[in-house]
Amino acid sequence: MDFFSALRISATGLSAERVRVNLASSNLANAESTRGPNGLPYRRLDPVLEATPFEGALGAAGGLDTGGGGPAGVRVARIVEDPGAGKRVFNPAHPDASDDGYVTLPNVNPIHEIVNLISAQKAYDANASAVDTLKSMAARALDIAR
Amino acid sequence: MNAIQPVQVSIPSSGEAGSSPQLKGASFADELGRALGAVERSQLDADLQASRTALGGGNLHETAIALEEADISMRVATKVRNKLVEAYQEVMRMSV
Repeated sequence: MDFFSALRISATGLSAERVRVNLASSNLANAESTRGPNGLPYRRLDPVLEATPFEGALGAAGGLDTGGGGPAGVRVARIVEDPGAGKRVFNPAHPDASDDGYVTLPNVNPIHEIVNLISAQKAYDANASAVDTLKSMAARALDIAR
Repeated sequence: MNAIQPVQVSIPSSGEAGSSPQLKGASFADELGRALGAVERSQLDADLQASRTALGGGNLHETAIALEEADISMRVATKVRNKLVEAYQEVMRMSV
């Protein structure tokens, strides 16, 4: 039903924001991980979000020219590793220290991750508000037929 | 939760009252049957999502949205049913 298009689009937004929160959590949890499955220090992860066209969301305005764009849901297209270099700390006693005594830490900046977390949370809230609005619109429309 | 049984609406054959010759295509009963089928599908979808979440998989918000969809479709169906019954009673009250 056309009425549910906005609900489904908001659902894709909610899913995407959850992925962002998951990645920020992963980055924060591994802020000190000096080795991963490949033996190298952890690298922070970032999602790449992509707009995916959403058919039928325009309803009665369906035939109008949208300038090539049109309504779209969102999906996580890729998850990329941050190529930035990690901080090197002199600590010869560390098991993961290289021959010159330096340990390479992950390129995670906790402040950056917290800011990402806040922004993802706010975006999640915004999508949830859109769902709420649609819900009250549906209730209001049903009230007409009372 | 038990699944709601599929709704079967008997469609009057052509020529009977209810399908005028000018109005070709889907009859009212046809449309009603399809709408009720959609309601049932959304109920089953919500049911599936809820059990998936309860079992540990699935997304909370997807379940919530499926439940909301089922709720709205159910309310629409109830509204239509109430209107039909109202109209029927209105006719029955007519003095002949």
